[in-house]
Amino acid sequence: MDDIKKGISRRSVLAGIAGGSAVAMAGIAGFPGIVRAQEKSLKIGAYGGYFKDSFDKHIFPEFTKATGISVESIAQPTGEAWLVQLEQAARAGQAPADVSMISQVSMLRGSAASIWAKLDPAKMPNIENVMPSFINKYDDGSVCGVGAVTWYITLVSNSDVITQAPSSWEELWKPDRAGQLGLLALVTNSFLLDVTAKTYFGGQEILDTEEGIMKVMDKLAELKDNVQLWYRDEAQFEQALKSGEIPMGQYYHDVAGLAAADGYPVRSTFPKEGGINDSGSWAVSKASEKLDLAHVFIDFMSQPEIQTLLSRKVGTSPTVARAKTSLTDAEFASVSSEIEPIIPRYDMYQQRADWLSQKWTELIVS
Amino acid sequence: MSGLVFESIVKKFGEFTAVHETSLTIPQGKFVCLLGPSGCGKTTLLRMIAGLEAATAGRILLDGDDVTRIPTHKRDFGMVFQNLALFPHLTVGENIAYPLRIRGVSKSDCLAAVKRLLDLVQLPDMAGRPVSKLSGGQKQRVAIARALALEPKLFLLDEPLSALDAKLRESMQIELKQLQQKLGITTIVVTHDQREAMTMADLVVVMSQGKVHQVAPPVEIYRKPKDAFVADFIGSTNLISGRISGSGKLAVPGGTLLADDLPATGDVTLSVRPENIRVTAGSGDNTPGCLAGEVSYIRDLGASIEMYLSVAGQQITAITTPSDRPDIAAGDAVSVHFPKDACVVLGDA
Amino acid sequence: MKIKPRTFSDYATIGFPAGMLMVFFVIPFGIMIAVSFFQRVQGAFYEPAFVFDNYARFLTSFFGGILGFSIGLAALVAVVSVLLAFPFTYILTRMTRRTQVVWLVFLLSVLSLSEVLIGFGWSTLLSRTAGISNLLVALGVLDKPMSLSPSFGAVMTGMVYQTFPYTVLVLFPALSRLDPSLVEVARTLGSGPVRSFLNVVVPALRNSIVSTLIMVFVFALGCYLLPQLLGKPSHWTLSVLITDQAIYQSNMPFAAAMAVFLVLVSLSLVAISLLYGKKENAA
Ligand SMILES: Nc1ncnc2c1ncn2[C@@H]1O[C@H](COP(=O)(O)OP(=O)(O)O)[C@@H](O)[C@H]1O
Ligand SMILES: [Mg+2]
Repeated sequence: MDDIKKGISRRSVLAGIAGGSAVAMAGIAGFPGIVRAQEKSLKIGAYGGYFKDSFDKHIFPEFTKATGISVESIAQPTGEAWLVQLEQAARAGQAPADVSMISQVSMLRGSAASIWAKLDPAKMPNIENVMPSFINKYDDGSVCGVGAVTWYITLVSNSDVITQAPSSWEELWKPDRAGQLGLLALVTNSFLLDVTAKTYFGGQEILDTEEGIMKVMDKLAELKDNVQLWYRDEAQFEQALKSGEIPMGQYYHDVAGLAAADGYPVRSTFPKEGGINDSGSWAVSKASEKLDLAHVFIDFMSQPEIQTLLSRKVGTSPTVARAKTSLTDAEFASVSSEIEPIIPRYDMYQQRADWLSQKWTELIVS
Repeated sequence: MSGLVFESIVKKFGEFTAVHETSLTIPQGKFVCLLGPSGCGKTTLLRMIAGLEAATAGRILLDGDDVTRIPTHKRDFGMVFQNLALFPHLTVGENIAYPLRIRGVSKSDCLAAVKRLLDLVQLPDMAGRPVSKLSGGQKQRVAIARALALEPKLFLLDEPLSALDAKLRESMQIELKQLQQKLGITTIVVTHDQREAMTMADLVVVMSQGKVHQVAPPVEIYRKPKDAFVADFIGSTNLISGRISGSGKLAVPGGTLLADDLPATGDVTLSVRPENIRVTAGSGDNTPGCLAGEVSYIRDLGASIEMYLSVAGQQITAITTPSDRPDIAAGDAVSVHFPKDACVVLGDA
Repeated sequence: MKIKPRTFSDYATIGFPAGMLMVFFVIPFGIMIAVSFFQRVQGAFYEPAFVFDNYARFLTSFFGGILGFSIGLAALVAVVSVLLAFPFTYILTRMTRRTQVVWLVFLLSVLSLSEVLIGFGWSTLLSRTAGISNLLVALGVLDKPMSLSPSFGAVMTGMVYQTFPYTVLVLFPALSRLDPSLVEVARTLGSGPVRSFLNVVVPALRNSIVSTLIMVFVFALGCYLLPQLLGKPSHWTLSVLITDQAIYQSNMPFAAAMAVFLVLVSLSLVAISLLYGKKENAA
């Protein structure tokens, strides 16, 4: 779990299923020292819905202006469906997107199947800025992914219903929360095993063994009665949270912030055990014929100014050190926290995938 | 009083009047035919008796009781539909036993009733057959048996024989009549076939365009049609118009005819059946009741001979038998005799 | 004498449906069967192979329970849908043409709603904060508003809502063709309206009813969003788990094995009910 402390899929499956693309027109401004693009274009996958919309509006036009490379953005579904498509496309030699934003477990899966193009750091001077933990590598040390954005999953609550802000993940286990919680439905996107381990077992080491994991699951089973909704789709919970129907749960810090900014009584709290820090990386399909342009794009996205822009416009947390950004304290606090985050055990999720999903399903279904 | 009585019954479908104000009495135990051309309202009248259509105005009385508002399923009338409407999912026996079964009659009693009814309609040992395997005539009998299972007070049939071929139809007519006589049940049959009505009915109700024209026994309908419609619809006839010219005398084109029951003055129409007209060779005496004419055409059908005559520019048809055939040919001048008692005075239609 | 097809066009008439069947059913199903025997490579994808692991994993009491629940749910949805839709459609066929058109257009528009929309719509309608329970409170039926979703009732409501228009449209032609004199004759023989409906209309159309039940059953069996959106985890059907395996776990071989199993089970249920129906018809 060294190179790969990043996030699994997120963003609505439902929104992701509905496709769509927008072609930004090619600009003319230059970009330091690299390929001059005329009629050059790049297909870039981003999670459909809010993410893609924000990128289309704030980020891709900047890139086109700077490099002259036009962007065709592709709404990609979350979860591993996109990975499956990329994998099949790689066999067929036809890429549905040149560059995609890929979750961490998918990065690992893709690496195991060698579907990522190897990237040349020399062509991307700006990736120096990216914190080493956000660089994905093949076993032989070659680079296959570069951190795009990171985000937090935190403890959220409806401030009308729950007047006192919760301070710990332990809140989820309290008996007076019966029927009040909304939690993510899948082992690989809720990271509740990591949360439980950190909260009740002194750290994630207990997740090293199956026995340990079973102990954590037993603890987790105790909060089942509190759960009103196990959600796969963000919109499902967001609605219920805003209205107070389901007044507490785990949710994305950035989207909760947007809802609060819109005036809804929604609050996002970093518990004292830490928020869950998850992330997505840029990776290039082996089937892409535009590796050069992809390097330009990833290099562009790794600039501290662009990471700053992402924080301000999309609400994600930067993959470059905070010091390099121009974020104010308030801006930084709105996308991140000084409390040490819970970083999911992606290695566990990859290596024990089938066993975990089986046990997890049995845990919540039964 | 016993029997079925219509009191000023009217039936409208929206703006359209299917049955105009009708009052009618059908005596207990009679076999009645509702006769008229297609679309004249016969089915509508029958369905009102069954309660399947609600009368727009008027009352229907059975044996003195007002049944106008009683729902169909409480009337206990047996009805045979034009398309028979056998239940496709039941066997012959189950179809017939249906009205008994829903009244909670025991299985063994049902079986006995089915056997008796099948014997009655001459379909013994058919109880187990699925109805889809029956011929048209057999289906007919099953439908009749089913309608009779309840021993209904009224037996209603809507064109029951129209789907059968001509031969079978004639034998079924006789069978149906015999069945009715055996059971003594008041029976009302809708038909557009006047031969069928003549064969079966004790009483014929002649209808056209939603109106009843005449109610009478078949022979009277034939011999004494009340108006031109009835005279023309029942068999064929010659209609001759003229003006009263004296007591019992009528001036018609080409001469004078004699008739009973003539009014004192005015214009009237006579109906004279072709078989009552006698034709003799030669333009003979021009006495009242006899007119001079000319043969246009003769049709020899073997059993009967039809003579088409022109009398004072009017087409007259006469029928005779081979033994009485006059010795004439087309183009011959003839005397045409109209016997006094064959000249029926018609009322307004 | 039998006429044999001779020219190309004689074959083409049957070739087209055969081709469609091939492209849209046989080939995809064949691929699915093949994939269900592939070797899952944990942490990556799958490799062509011929192993029974995927089926072995499925044959546990856990999945047996879920399969049983899925089949039971689909059957219940089918029965409730037909129970509601059959009398409704019967009454509809007896209405004026105009009324029928209005209803059919309305039902078609419900049919055009996506599963997502139906799921979200009903979860709002059944919610504590904005749902119909508030209406019941206003009417004095309930003391305080309550949350009716997620629950088994909510799943049933959503699924029946989704299948109802479909059921009506499938039943409509058969009920329109039903000879009205069958009911009339039953009435002359002494059955009231309800009894004639049960004794005559229902049995006369039992084949349509059985085939409609089967269609709705199969339709409901494939439903994977509504149980998620309106149910608790214990109401998730096999289709939900298949989707999870395919989309979230990228475990195509296992998803395929479950799907093959589901198809086989539903096909055999259909076959059994048809055989049973045939026997009954013959009896
Ligand atoms: N349900 C109905 N609605 C409107 N018109 C009808 C209806 N039933 C019958 N009619 C009309 O009433 C007239 C008489 O019909 P009917 O009684 O069936 O005639 P028929 O003497 O041939 O049995 C016809 O003109 C027919 O079109
Ligand atoms: Mg008729």
